Amino acid sequence: MQSYVSISTVLCILGTLLAYMAVRALYLRYKHPLINIVALGAAIIITVLVVCDISYAVYEPAAKIMTVFIGPATVALALPLYRYRQVLLRYVLAILGSVCAGTFVAMFSAGLIARLGGLPQEVVISIIPKSVSIPFAIEIAGLYGGIPSLAAAFVVATGTLGSLMGGWTLNLAGVKDPFARGLSLGTVSHAQGTAAALQEGEEQGAMAGLALILAGIITAAIAPVVVWMVLRFPAVG
Amino acid sequence: MKETWKFLWQMAFLMALFLASNWLVGFTGLPMPGNVLGIIVLFLLLLTGVVKEEHISTAANFLLKHMVFFFVPVAVGLMQWGGVFYDYGWILLAAVVIGAILPLLAVGLLGRALRRRTRRKEEESCSPM
Repeated sequence: MQSYVSISTVLCILGTLLAYMAVRALYLRYKHPLINIVALGAAIIITVLVVCDISYAVYEPAAKIMTVFIGPATVALALPLYRYRQVLLRYVLAILGSVCAGTFVAMFSAGLIARLGGLPQEVVISIIPKSVSIPFAIEIAGLYGGIPSLAAAFVVATGTLGSLMGGWTLNLAGVKDPFARGLSLGTVSHAQGTAAALQEGEEQGAMAGLALILAGIITAAIAPVVVWMVLRFPAVG
Repeated sequence: MKETWKFLWQMAFLMALFLASNWLVGFTGLPMPGNVLGIIVLFLLLLTGVVKEEHISTAANFLLKHMVFFFVPVAVGLMQWGGVFYDYGWILLAAVVIGAILPLLAVGLLGRALRRRTRRKEEESCSPM
């Protein structure tokens, strides 16, 4: 059996690295929440592929190689969780209570709207884990009959939205407590919300990081129940 | 050179931990993704002191710093779903926007209230002393 990496795959990986470095430099330069590294980086690559009339099938082997590292990268999230174990212990009930409630609301509200809007079942399931980091969402969507890459799309959309209007929504509701703001941004908009929270302050960033990990675990744990509940509703349309 | 080896060893350790967790989930049928179990296992290893922060921090910090990179190729997969977004645009927009505003408010208001409660209780239990 011959196994090799084709030239097109190498070019796709190099191109992705190049797009990432360019967008990251842009983000570090301006720190603007609209400069979303994942969304913008992917948009550049998709544009190049479409303009050059290259199908996704050509890019897919490169994507498979690059996403191998998502596994160890998520496992590494245990480190910040460990670093903030003191805050975690002191406010354990406040954290668990609010993140649990928020995670359920995030999953159920989006799933229900999609279901009542008459979307196909696999699309409804794919939107349910939209508020957690992509690796969680991909696994969860795959486990319960959703479409992993579509689930990733909803995650990116939710993350961008949360980092754009999360702070504004909390201002409107009069939530000034940095602890609560961080938890809220991390629960709803995962890593992108965490980045937005870090721009507000260190406490917000730490709590958002904690919330994104907890929301991922809670989402994985309650996903079968929420999927079951949403699918009880009749599909209209 | 020594730093490079340290980095590679730590990376291999995190990868091994992920693969072992993945295998364990497949083997036992635990209702969670392998990477979630991996976080819990590593967190426990850190808490018990079996693994020290410096044993993994070089590779872990690198992976966390560049975590978004690994999601760029995932998001490129979106190009296959253009049709779905075209067909169901408004419902999807409503689901994503309402599905973000409601939990943002829920966590923000509840988190603030619960933290105040914890603080009040701590003050009450301290004051009679």
